[in-house]
Amino acid sequence: MKKLVESSGIEVAYKEVDVVTTGTFGAMCSSGAIINLGHSDPPIKIQKAWINDVEVCHPGAAVDLYIGATVMSETRPFEYGGGHVTEDLISGKEVELRATAYGTDCYPRTKLRTTLTKDDLNQFYLLNFRNCYQRYNCATNSRDETIYTYMGKLLPRFGNATFSGSGGLNPLMNDPDYETIGIGTRIFLGGGQGYVIGEGTQHDPGNRFGTLMVRGDCKKMNSEFIRGAAFTKYGTTLYVGIGTPIPILNEELARKTAILDEEILTDIVDYGVPRRERPKLGKVSYKELKSGTITIKDKKVKVSPLSSLKTARKIAETLKSWIENSSFYLTSPVERIPTDTICSPMKQTEEIAFVNSVMHPAVTCTEEEEIENVANRIISHSVNHIVVADDEGKLKGIVTSWDVTKAVAKGKKKLADIIVRKVVTTKPDESLEAASRKMAQHQISALPVIDHDKKVLGIITSEDISKLLGR
Amino acid sequence: MVRILLRFSEEIVDQPITAQVILEHGIPISIVAAHIDSQGGEILAEVPETHVEKIIDAFREKGVTVTVPKLIEVDTEKCFECGACLSLCPVSAIAFKEDSSVVFDEEKCIGSPCGLCIDACPAKAIKLVEQHSSYLNR
Repeated sequence: MKKLVESSGIEVAYKEVDVVTTGTFGAMCSSGAIINLGHSDPPIKIQKAWINDVEVCHPGAAVDLYIGATVMSETRPFEYGGGHVTEDLISGKEVELRATAYGTDCYPRTKLRTTLTKDDLNQFYLLNFRNCYQRYNCATNSRDETIYTYMGKLLPRFGNATFSGSGGLNPLMNDPDYETIGIGTRIFLGGGQGYVIGEGTQHDPGNRFGTLMVRGDCKKMNSEFIRGAAFTKYGTTLYVGIGTPIPILNEELARKTAILDEEILTDIVDYGVPRRERPKLGKVSYKELKSGTITIKDKKVKVSPLSSLKTARKIAETLKSWIENSSFYLTSPVERIPTDTICSPMKQTEEIAFVNSVMHPAVTCTEEEEIENVANRIISHSVNHIVVADDEGKLKGIVTSWDVTKAVAKGKKKLADIIVRKVVTTKPDESLEAASRKMAQHQISALPVIDHDKKVLGIITSEDISKLLGR
Repeated sequence: MVRILLRFSEEIVDQPITAQVILEHGIPISIVAAHIDSQGGEILAEVPETHVEKIIDAFREKGVTVTVPKLIEVDTEKCFECGACLSLCPVSAIAFKEDSSVVFDEEKCIGSPCGLCIDACPAKAIKLVEQHSSYLNR
């Protein structure tokens, strides 16, 4: 369609093309599968259950379980999770179920252990409440350390960037006004046929962040298009393959489905700032993202996708061949998806403390000072941490009372020899929880507070945090 | 060229051993990657195949531990070709082909001194594996 519109114009494309197929294959965390086990004898009303050591949720009557994609195995966390359980079942593997219950007069059993394959399940349906984001942020990291996020591994100081989504091939980008995609639309889902059952949670079509809620029969799916995955130090998820057919009902749809990667822009977002509103560092098109390199703050940065473009293309092509050989029939939606919802932030009734509420001025020194001066300052201010700054107040390092003691014991005279130059820092708008997490991770007891120019604004210590908790 | 991995302990890390070996034997050694701090160091070096045994002996005499780097191995069954690893690779050993397949260039990969891609893989399809080498085990 894209090439045809460019070469022959919209009118010709509208007449020539009946259906445009789309595809995407990426990490879709808000996914899971509902299964029904049938009743055991004596019967059990399951209270808690695990499949391959992954806790599964028991939302219904007695033996219906929901395998959430992001729930991690209790024995192999960050490696194996609900997404993997779903993939294993789809690919025909045997899984182990454990369940416990409190026992009732009608469901007396309190313990259960068995093995299962998909053939042993009455129902096995993918039921995903948010899939198929229309587009997503490009993620990067301003911090001095590598961070592990749901957008993958992000190297320090904008060392790389990641993005997600198939751009011009994305289902919702090709029908942004939801003329053909609605409740009841039959789609390609995980290698089988599924349905759109509504808008996904956080559906925000006005900002081109539309999402879908979908359902499909797992027993007919193919594990090539449904894959469990694990993001290091973040958690597990499910890669879901989705493709939609878009009937070209009017010239406008011909124009819309001709959308190109260069027309789809997204924000470059700093995931180094763990807040709801993360700083935006500029805009970038999917064409640039797919090129492998983007520019952030005048620096060339390598960028990689988290979703597979190759599989997305394969999905669009498979759907096309199904339609051509009459094994897939298009449906018209029975109801339209809302085009005016927005994604509002959470209502919060408790105040969260940030670094700026407990930080206080740091006792500082310069690199050229004598160790003795620094030792005196530690005593006179009764502190354990002296922040080393240059003439402009920019952070150069940190010296602790322990470093000074060690220097005396080892007979070191120069301050420069004992300064710790790799300093873990915080910013005023970081939450105290995130700051204490940093201290625990690095086994340290204070963090200099700096601004984005590395200028020292103050310091927080673990004592400050303990005092706050004890209040 | 053959790649060898040189490990320097804390006691010898401050000595110019690599330079000494180059000067004493007049054989070029190319440093591909290096990581050195006060606790010790590691250098991934490339040496001419014809002189590899001589160079290994020379380093070992000076107290350096010589091994071969572990290499990256990709499990193609597990890999779903997302390309998340691409932006982590400092030597561009991983790239996309025209059709968006992910290709891995073993020649370019520096292996165990790097390994940045391993924990970036959502499919957990990347591993470091031991290389077998005849010239080390005499």
